[in-house]
Amino acid sequence: MSTQARSDTSAPVEVGQAMLSVRDLTVTFPSADGPIRAVNGMSFDVRPRERLGIVGESGSGKSVTAQALLGLTPRDHTTGSIVFEGEDLLTAPQDRLRALRGWDISYVFQDPLSALDPTRTVGHQVAQPLLLRRVPKKEAHRRAVEMLGEVGIPDPARRARNYPHQFSGGMRQRVMIAMALIGQPRLVIADEPTTALDVRVQAKIIDLLYRLTDEQGVAVVFITHDLGILAGLAERVIVMYAGRVMEECSTDELYYRSIHPYTLGLLESLSRISGPVPERLLTIGGGPPAPSRLPTGCPFHPRCQYVQPECRTTPPPLEVPPGGEHASACLRAAWLAERPGELR
Amino acid sequence: MTTPLLQVRGLVREFGHGPGLVRAVDDVSFDVMQGEALGLVGESGSGKSTTARCVLRLIEPTAGEVRLDGEDVLALGGPALRRLRSTAQLVFQDPYSSLNPRMTVADIIAEGIRIHRPRESSTTVKDEVVDLLELVGLRPDHLTRKPAAFSGGERQRIGIARALALKPKLLVCDEPVASLDVSIQAQILNLFADLRERLDLTLVYIAHDLSTVRHLCGRIAVMQDGKIREIGTREQIYEDPQHEYTRALMAAVPEPDPRSERAKLAARRSAQTTEAGRL
Repeated sequence: MSTQARSDTSAPVEVGQAMLSVRDLTVTFPSADGPIRAVNGMSFDVRPRERLGIVGESGSGKSVTAQALLGLTPRDHTTGSIVFEGEDLLTAPQDRLRALRGWDISYVFQDPLSALDPTRTVGHQVAQPLLLRRVPKKEAHRRAVEMLGEVGIPDPARRARNYPHQFSGGMRQRVMIAMALIGQPRLVIADEPTTALDVRVQAKIIDLLYRLTDEQGVAVVFITHDLGILAGLAERVIVMYAGRVMEECSTDELYYRSIHPYTLGLLESLSRISGPVPERLLTIGGGPPAPSRLPTGCPFHPRCQYVQPECRTTPPPLEVPPGGEHASACLRAAWLAERPGELR
Repeated sequence: MTTPLLQVRGLVREFGHGPGLVRAVDDVSFDVMQGEALGLVGESGSGKSTTARCVLRLIEPTAGEVRLDGEDVLALGGPALRRLRSTAQLVFQDPYSSLNPRMTVADIIAEGIRIHRPRESSTTVKDEVVDLLELVGLRPDHLTRKPAAFSGGERQRIGIARALALKPKLLVCDEPVASLDVSIQAQILNLFADLRERLDLTLVYIAHDLSTVRHLCGRIAVMQDGKIREIGTREQIYEDPQHEYTRALMAAVPEPDPRSERAKLAARRSAQTTEAGRL
């Protein structure tokens, strides 16, 4: 594609080494009832070209984590470190972050209608990251049209002159993706990019993200509440609950051999289009806790069917249990690891 | 042989006029038997919600016939129409915008009873509201709170209790779990299944995805562009779909099974490369 000069401070990354390392990330918001911990000591890596899924329900802290990765959470309330290609984003100056955002790291928002500017043409908005970097207007426009074509907008030269309201939901999401990609980022963070879309459109967006990593070597962090969506796309999955990592492993390990009661419960409660139709769906009782009222000990213990007395007092560490293949934050992970697949 | 509780014949609803005329519902006919759960499935713009709203006469159909419990819905007016409204109730998709934030839960649930039976004593109304609350799995101490104190799943339970307050025969549910967390979706789907059994309710359940419908509905109608493309029993639709559109919808539903999902993704990719050109 283009030969646009990259920011030259970025060090080349070896394949297999992490391009993004998050360590002990904690985001706290002040509130009338005292500080609310939205993210509580998250640590994870993203490798180049990787497709990482982060799954969690409302209040799990998944979107706040995504915002923190772009330096969009208030700094005085964010601790830990987020090292992107050797540079800590939590201490980098603001203008350095502005240079990175939309260029080296970009973000696809959940709701394209509120993220797009209704008063500017789609072509102009897609070209924006280039215009901000002083790419000549004509060239920027040409590349915006090219990018709209890349993401599957038919007749891109004409559609670039349209406004967001003239696009359907799926097409708007493609516009968002075109905007995220025009700077040729190495990392794309997509926060529920398919949630409001019809299933056939959803599948097309998934295919597009897959193609990106496969053909252009972009790493994608895909954030969602839907384990179904991740199954085909992600190579690795992190399950979040109450601002913490509950389980982290390869996609197959998670879906076929999970060793965390929360993940097992999520998988059981999904309705499916094949297999036997149960009388009742199995459910996890109760609902996710509000970040302002987290229970003591393991945050999942009030809803857990395997709960033990010490779960109420001791938060379980995230570690690989004896006999297990991957990390799970559960005191009974070793017990669950002896029963792979049986509990589903 | 029982007669259907709901009969829809040749239902048409048009929006706009002249060259901008859109037929949102285009000659739709179906029956729903007493005690049955019918799923109405389609993508956005398929006309499924418009169909439901015409059946309840929340919007006026352009043409067609709707019979509910033996009555011609479209011919009714005044008190007779109000009576019909207590026979058929709606559960909305969005549990945030469909509950008045300034009313207490007790008042939200009792509102319909107070309108339809204005002379009812307040103790009877209160007793009924408490029973309804219990029926949907909420506690009596929730009565004095306002919607803001509840989570999405709890709000949806309040919406269901409100819909049940007038002892309807038909409950129309417009994507009632679409905006809920996965672990809460299953709870609400189970609640609908229980209520149907306990109250002998008839359900018309609208959804954009085929997976939630499968758990609740014995019969399913698939809609596209305002028309019913296919209608059949659960077994017919899921095991032997006849219409191309049903098959396409089915193939696109993601399932929590990485091996089969990767196979589907690979199949879609090779189909695209043969199509020549970009996605």
